[in-house]
Amino acid sequence: MDKLLRNKKVITIFLMPALLLFTVVLFIPICQSVYYSFCDYKGLTAPEFIGLANYKNLLKDKSMIYALKNSLFFLIFSCVTQLILGLFLAALLTNIKKGRNLFKNIIYLPCVLSSTALGLLWMFIFSPKLGINQALEKFGIEGPLWLMDTSGFIILPMWVIAFVALWQYVGQSMMLYMAQISGISTSLYEASYIDGCNKAQSFIHITLPLIRPMVATAMSFNAIGSLKFFDLIFNMTEGGPNHRTEVLATHLYTQGFKYNKYGYASAVGVVLIILCLLVTGLINKFVKTENYEM
Amino acid sequence: MKKRLLAVVLSVAMTAALLAGCGAGGGTSDGNESASAEGGVQEITWMFWDDLNATEDLISKGYADVIDRFNADYEGQYHVTAVTTNLEEYYPKLNALVASNETPDVFIVSPGPNLEVYVEPGVAAPLDEYLADGWKDSFTSDAVFSQMTYDGKIYAVPLNIAAACAFYNTEMFEAAGVKVPETWDEMLDACKKLEAAGYTPITISAGTAWCLSMVAGYLCEMEGVDLAALADGSASWEDGQLESAAAKLVELSQYFQKTAAGDTNDVATANFYNEEAAILIQGSWAIAQINGSNPDFESKCGVFQFPGVERVIAKSDSIAMSSTTKYPEACIAFMKYFTDDTAQKYTAEIGGKIPVTNVEYDASKAPAQLAYVMEVFGAANGTFGFYNESMPSTEAGAYFDDLMVSVFLGDMTPAEAAADMEDFYAGNCR
Repeated sequence: MDKLLRNKKVITIFLMPALLLFTVVLFIPICQSVYYSFCDYKGLTAPEFIGLANYKNLLKDKSMIYALKNSLFFLIFSCVTQLILGLFLAALLTNIKKGRNLFKNIIYLPCVLSSTALGLLWMFIFSPKLGINQALEKFGIEGPLWLMDTSGFIILPMWVIAFVALWQYVGQSMMLYMAQISGISTSLYEASYIDGCNKAQSFIHITLPLIRPMVATAMSFNAIGSLKFFDLIFNMTEGGPNHRTEVLATHLYTQGFKYNKYGYASAVGVVLIILCLLVTGLINKFVKTENYEM
Repeated sequence: MKKRLLAVVLSVAMTAALLAGCGAGGGTSDGNESASAEGGVQEITWMFWDDLNATEDLISKGYADVIDRFNADYEGQYHVTAVTTNLEEYYPKLNALVASNETPDVFIVSPGPNLEVYVEPGVAAPLDEYLADGWKDSFTSDAVFSQMTYDGKIYAVPLNIAAACAFYNTEMFEAAGVKVPETWDEMLDACKKLEAAGYTPITISAGTAWCLSMVAGYLCEMEGVDLAALADGSASWEDGQLESAAAKLVELSQYFQKTAAGDTNDVATANFYNEEAAILIQGSWAIAQINGSNPDFESKCGVFQFPGVERVIAKSDSIAMSSTTKYPEACIAFMKYFTDDTAQKYTAEIGGKIPVTNVEYDASKAPAQLAYVMEVFGAANGTFGFYNESMPSTEAGAYFDDLMVSVFLGDMTPAEAAADMEDFYAGNCR
């Protein structure tokens, strides 16, 4: 087998499917997008090179500023809440014996459901005439306009959508942390108990340092996922009211597919790619990971 | 050795499958075409912005009848298949099909800048040679083609005309002791009385920006905004008219339903026919939706012209033909079915829209609201287009729509909105 894997022709053949897929589906479109971002391209006529005009317009575009602000809010919110809640749930479930699989499946279930269906479901729940507000009305309480209120720096609909996203994706973080925690040798915990540690101390001094590599991975997933977040927002608010819940991905969609400004939308896409690379780089740099014998 | 061989063969197979997958689109398409050619039936597609199977809209149901009639009459010769989507997704999907060289043979399109998007790159075909065979003479006048004509050529055919009016609940007006308003002050007074009587005076959608923008268009008309002068730079958005119009919009917005900021067009219209609000300012296409969803409401539904203006906003649905269609004769035959007497009678008698041809229809069979709309139309001192369809580009129209929503939400003052619109025009439209 080793001899086979040293054969360059065989390596090339083995790599070809993935390489082709990567080139055709990712690399070429990204290169094309970068080129189109320097063009006035409406999709139906040939692209015309206009230099940095699209990028200059991005700076003046109010919807882009809303989108950037909301995307960064999502990034911070989901990284922090999913880290804390995901870790808490993982620690909790690894320490219970009865019902572990049941709760694991319940918490993970929203992850495997269609975001479009969930978006519509939550939209109905937060609709002024259905769901929560109807229930509140029974107690004489007038509920807020969950998906329409536009007051405040981070408006209420953004908090609502962030909560729904947390509910949907926390199961994924939990599973990653659980996988890492279950790989830690029980002898380490036994040794710590002999040395006088309680459960909280062993979690802080053993579990946390040993799951750091997974924290970096999970945070990267969360960060990239929240930057390119689209489906829940599109189905719950469509970026409205008046672009106030726009994020980078919905702004890209609106500009490209609604207004036919493919060149401008490509510039938004390039900003999105740069942000994803930047955030992943920062997480890998600042969340130090060392490999321990587990 | 066998394992190695198997691994190599599997890798090659995966690569081949990948390459085959990339080229599958063209192969499938060719297959369909040859099947059509063998059968002798010319297959065409028509793209439309409503689900013809699920819709309650009577006009859309009429279009479904047109398809059925055409397919039955031309069985074995032509066949049309409808490609449907919802209105919000319509243009993105149409554009995606155009960009991938799969333009539908016939497609519905709003006239003005929306149509121009398809005329400029040559996606829509000129129809003059087909209209010249007497088809054009069946229309009420040449004026119905004015928003579909570019460089002297006609690129689309209108199907019906709708006017933007104020629909009102006659029972609520009576209970609140309100008369039909004719001036702006009377309108505000009517809203005040309706509110005092415990009704929501106006239902409107700011979630679907063009609905709010339609009211803003009337207010701009009231203030004397001249779109042509603004486009050529001889007038400025900061002349004061837009600021006054936007201030009036803010004044009127205190009478909107609480959820106006996020309600969609359909929800706002449903508020009206479910008798949750007294006034709906909407195009007369809403008649088909109102009567289709709540037939009992027809007798309670009155119509008046938006107060304080002499002209009325008019709009038509139109259909265009792809310049790359392989079967232009089939397309034209199909398009003619939309403007034949059966379809146009249906438009008036069932759908409640104004026909575009000289067809004689039975007014007693038509929805009651159509007669009121015709009265408004007859009394008006001319028509003008939707503001967002009368600006130099679709983007300018969308910008105006969003700006009016910003004013309504309080994100901008009327003066700021006027300055912002002027900046946009200076940078993009002149």
